[in-house]
Amino acid sequence: MIFPGLRRILAPFLLAVLLLVTSCSAKQPSRFDQAQIESTKRGATPAVVKESQQGSSFNKFLPKGGGGYDRVFTQEKKGFAEAKLNKNGKNVAMLSISDTVNLPDAAKKFQSSTQKIGGYPAVDVGNTQTAVLVGHYQVKVLSRDPSFTKSDRDAWLKQFDLNGLANLK
Amino acid sequence: MSKSIFELVDQLPTNNMTIMVLRSLDFVVPGQWDNLVGFTNTIRTVTGETDESLIQQIGDRAVCLYNDKSQGYQRAMWLYQTVDRTDSALGAAALANKVGEKIPLMGFLNKITPKADKAQTIDLCMKLVVELVAFCQINGIPGDSIGDFVGSLGDYSGESLMRMAALVCIDGLIPLGPDFILKALSTLNGTNPTELEQNNTFQSVKDLIPGGNTAGQLNFINQSFDSVKGWMSGFVSGRGLTPENVINNMQKFVEISADKLDYLGAFLDMTTNYYEHTGTQTLARRLIERAVAEI
Repeated sequence: MIFPGLRRILAPFLLAVLLLVTSCSAKQPSRFDQAQIESTKRGATPAVVKESQQGSSFNKFLPKGGGGYDRVFTQEKKGFAEAKLNKNGKNVAMLSISDTVNLPDAAKKFQSSTQKIGGYPAVDVGNTQTAVLVGHYQVKVLSRDPSFTKSDRDAWLKQFDLNGLANLK
Repeated sequence: MSKSIFELVDQLPTNNMTIMVLRSLDFVVPGQWDNLVGFTNTIRTVTGETDESLIQQIGDRAVCLYNDKSQGYQRAMWLYQTVDRTDSALGAAALANKVGEKIPLMGFLNKITPKADKAQTIDLCMKLVVELVAFCQINGIPGDSIGDFVGSLGDYSGESLMRMAALVCIDGLIPLGPDFILKALSTLNGTNPTELEQNNTFQSVKDLIPGGNTAGQLNFINQSFDSVKGWMSGFVSGRGLTPENVINNMQKFVEISADKLDYLGAFLDMTTNYYEHTGTQTLARRLIERAVAEI
């Protein structure tokens, strides 16, 4: 008997593994399992941190609409404010400001920025988004209709009060 | 442990009583609701993005936001689920062997007890209050003025508008009749805190209803109903809704006679969970809209 201790724990260990495997296999694996585990473990960093700016302080920097476009505020959460841009009652774009203190990776993508809008670094994301970084605040315009193009997004980004936002402490 | 947001959205059904009933209400809000299910599918549809690594980032952020309890999303989900508990056994029985044929309501009469007008009125009001509270938990109080806030409430579309259509039809017109708003107002005026306390629906969600004590909560319910009654009556008259045309559309899949409307109301109440179903869809959409803007 070389490993009596190992023998003693082997059966409970195998049983535990078996239970773990069967309990996991009962659930469909998902590509979002990792995010679920990370964000629910003890001591996980909250999605929105205490230091984050209030969403209400962002509202006044959003463009007002006009020229056939209606602006309708849709969300105001800590670190985030968003409005719809509607034309003839149809949603064509979203306007948003968020605090990247909650998601530092969001600010990193501007390090490789090659364009500027209103004097601030800008990047295109995916098929539908153009973003500007003002201090640690991210300003985005997101197309929701094919008629709302990249040049529309650039034009609407210029209508945000970017300099005002830069002074927000 | 409570379910993750992607499980909840992935597990939304595509064919049950709730779906059949909501589809029958398409004539009320044409083309507004197409039963969007599946978490990844919802991300693609809401954002229009196709890049897999981007979809992963959006989903990951949405999962984290949902799990941050301070953000109120889980409270909203709990409200939508709790105000709308289904008797799933009856729902399954109704659907058993009913593929392609009508469900005979007569067969269930002995299992159904129609609600008294007072209980039905409180149910209707509680669902409205839950909508208001869940809206604020999910979206905050958008904008800087009352006008902005009312504007954001008025911008209901898609599954949110379908939820309100179903509320008006299933919890208003069918059980309480064409003058359900007036009826509910007068019933509500005649309800005291003790009676409210005895109502099951109120009991289940009262912890998240503002007002402090039961009397304060009754006051809040009254104010909430008062503030949406204009919208509701405009909705009913603008779309020409009557119990008859709602039922005509439901008769495609359930056999009912016009003198058994109170039974139909109770049957739908017990076999559907349209608040939970469309509420999950609304919550997922808002989370994803926020996530894609934040990444």
